[in-house]
Amino acid sequence: MRVTEGSAVYSSLAGLQSTASRLAALQSQLSSGRQITKPSDSPTGTSQALGLRAELTRVDQYGNNATDAIGWMTTTDSTLSSAVTQLQSVRSLVLQGLNTAMGTPTSNNALAQQVDQLRASMLSLSNATYQGRPIFGGTTAGAVAFDSTGNYVGDTGTVTRTVGPSTTVDINNSGTDVFGPDGGNVFSVLSDISAKLRSDPSTLTSSLQDLDTAMTRMSSQQALSGAVYQRVQVAQTVNATNTLQLKSQLSNLQDIDLASMAVQVSTADAAYQASLATTAKIRQTSLLDYLR
Amino acid sequence: MSSFSGLTNALAALNAQRYGLDVTGQNISNASTPGYTRQRAEFGEVAPAAGVPSLYATQRGASGVTVTGTTRMNDPVLDSRVRAEHGKNGQTQTAATALSGVETLIDEPSDNGLAAQLSDFWKSWSAMANNPGGDANGLSARNVVLQKGATVAASLNATSGALDRLTQSASDQLNQTVVDVNDAANSLAKLNGAIAVASATGAPTNALADQRDALLLQLADNAGATASLAGDGQVTVTLGGQTLVNGTTATAVAVTSAHQLTVGGAAAGPAGGAAQGLVDAISTVLPGYSAQLDSVAAALSSTVNGAMAAGYDLAGNAGTPFFSGTTAGTISVALSDPTKLAASGVAGGNLDASNASAVANFGTLAGGADGVYQSFVSGLASSVQSASQQATVQSSVTASVDAQAQSVSGVSLDEETTSLLTFQRSYQAASRVLTTVDDTLDTLINRTGRVGL
Repeated sequence: MRVTEGSAVYSSLAGLQSTASRLAALQSQLSSGRQITKPSDSPTGTSQALGLRAELTRVDQYGNNATDAIGWMTTTDSTLSSAVTQLQSVRSLVLQGLNTAMGTPTSNNALAQQVDQLRASMLSLSNATYQGRPIFGGTTAGAVAFDSTGNYVGDTGTVTRTVGPSTTVDINNSGTDVFGPDGGNVFSVLSDISAKLRSDPSTLTSSLQDLDTAMTRMSSQQALSGAVYQRVQVAQTVNATNTLQLKSQLSNLQDIDLASMAVQVSTADAAYQASLATTAKIRQTSLLDYLR
Repeated sequence: MSSFSGLTNALAALNAQRYGLDVTGQNISNASTPGYTRQRAEFGEVAPAAGVPSLYATQRGASGVTVTGTTRMNDPVLDSRVRAEHGKNGQTQTAATALSGVETLIDEPSDNGLAAQLSDFWKSWSAMANNPGGDANGLSARNVVLQKGATVAASLNATSGALDRLTQSASDQLNQTVVDVNDAANSLAKLNGAIAVASATGAPTNALADQRDALLLQLADNAGATASLAGDGQVTVTLGGQTLVNGTTATAVAVTSAHQLTVGGAAAGPAGGAAQGLVDAISTVLPGYSAQLDSVAAALSSTVNGAMAAGYDLAGNAGTPFFSGTTAGTISVALSDPTKLAASGVAGGNLDASNASAVANFGTLAGGADGVYQSFVSGLASSVQSASQQATVQSSVTASVDAQAQSVSGVSLDEETTSLLTFQRSYQAASRVLTTVDDTLDTLINRTGRVGL
């Protein structure tokens, strides 16, 4: 093939451009730290990266939901513990009341007043809130689960948190499950005890039974809540592991391998310098240099 | 044989060598002129006149040299291949550019692209499910949902608008290309006339032919026009099966409202060149991506609105649509009151959040906006990748035929220097012939008969 100045320049220029563009592409990857700077860098990689990113956002929210659930259930747990403790206090008061040998109307009245106090405190426990919501009120929009007379004003709705893909936990304990159904709930039991202490402490035996039933009910709800709490904790651990795995997958997919990239860039740079050097030397000499 | 024929002979040689030097000078002057095709002075030996048989005809004398012409050193077959590859190159480059234009609108994968915005939107529904109430916490969670929804809608609007602008600018570019094509066609028609006149009168046509070939290459680049050369140097240009230039007549090219090229009103078939790339981009590629973006908006709007209709707002009323508009250009958030978000799945004003939790999972919904968008992005990515690979291959093919053509028609300075030497030496030798003949005649004329003097 006949070689002319023009064709030599064309081919050197084409070589220069291809090495320069390769270097530029590598440098753009190196400076951004990404293998995939635009979708066409890797169509399948992009598709996978989009999926992984969406999954990461979801897992992150599962984590938020689990934290929220833990907060709610910690409130439930401590409230139930206090409530059980208070019922135990009531129980000892009842036992004192039953000991009629010691009792006088005045002392029994004092016991009744203590029971009234405990009932008021129990009512406030039953209306415990988490972030402004009564935790035993189901999905009620109201501010309380039980009104001042001890009647349930919440609803039967469940409060759920999605703590993992297809893992939804019910985090609330319904007021009627914890404190008993209206009419037979812990507040009417306490009112009953207070009334009996004032009138005839000897009839308190049946109340002791009612009290034990209420305590059992409360403890079993606490156990139930604890089981759910554990599920949420497991979900939290799974989410943390998933987050790490997803991040490492995403990193494998879209981040550069610094060492290999550095080698590639220096190779490309050497190639570019070589083509610059040859381009500078093309046809520096011609026949004219040798003619006088 | 005349006594003076030697002188005539030498003169012819001097003239021829000078002409050769002129042509070499022309080549050297134009060594870097784009589109210049090197020329070569053609010499021929002058045959003696086939005369009447003569007593003296036994000695056939040399009759010298004559310039028979100036050849334009091109390869017409190669030139036509160059035009064909340039036509394909124009089309593939334009197609690749149009697709990368779309790709730059899609900022993926990143923390700011539409995919991330959609994920954030679903995430905000989940946060609202945790706090669906009407208190400060709940209202702020609800407001976040509205804002994230507005972000997604705005992003769809912006991308759709940018796609429309891409289409508009491709359309402007197509119109400009057609103007260029018409200019080139008109110039070619005039050149055809000039070449016909010049070849009829024997005037040099090489410079005109260079201009003609440059215009033909431009037409190939712009519109993939093909050319056929007639013996007299005139060219007939065809564009998509329609005659664009014939003799001194150029037919006007126009673009129809459906973005179709016509030549003199008749529809031109697909030809190649930048124009074809633009026509494809305007009529199929860009509208295709617009439609896909619209289907993302439609999926988003229908799924979210459907869920809203199935739920109840904070006051316990049935939910109203979240989005209005079902295309990427028109979608917007229809709600402004955060309490109107239907988080509850149970009638009556309560803090049930089952509906919000359900919407929070829409990111994985089959046929949901995320899936539609993902397939849009990966489809676009594959198309951009294959288009840019095609463009790279085609551009190296084009460069290689350019280099081949250049190696035939380009000026090599070494070669021209050698020619200079040859012509110079030949000129010197011809002068010496002249001097020698002169000396010989001098001997004949001035010395004859002076023997012994």
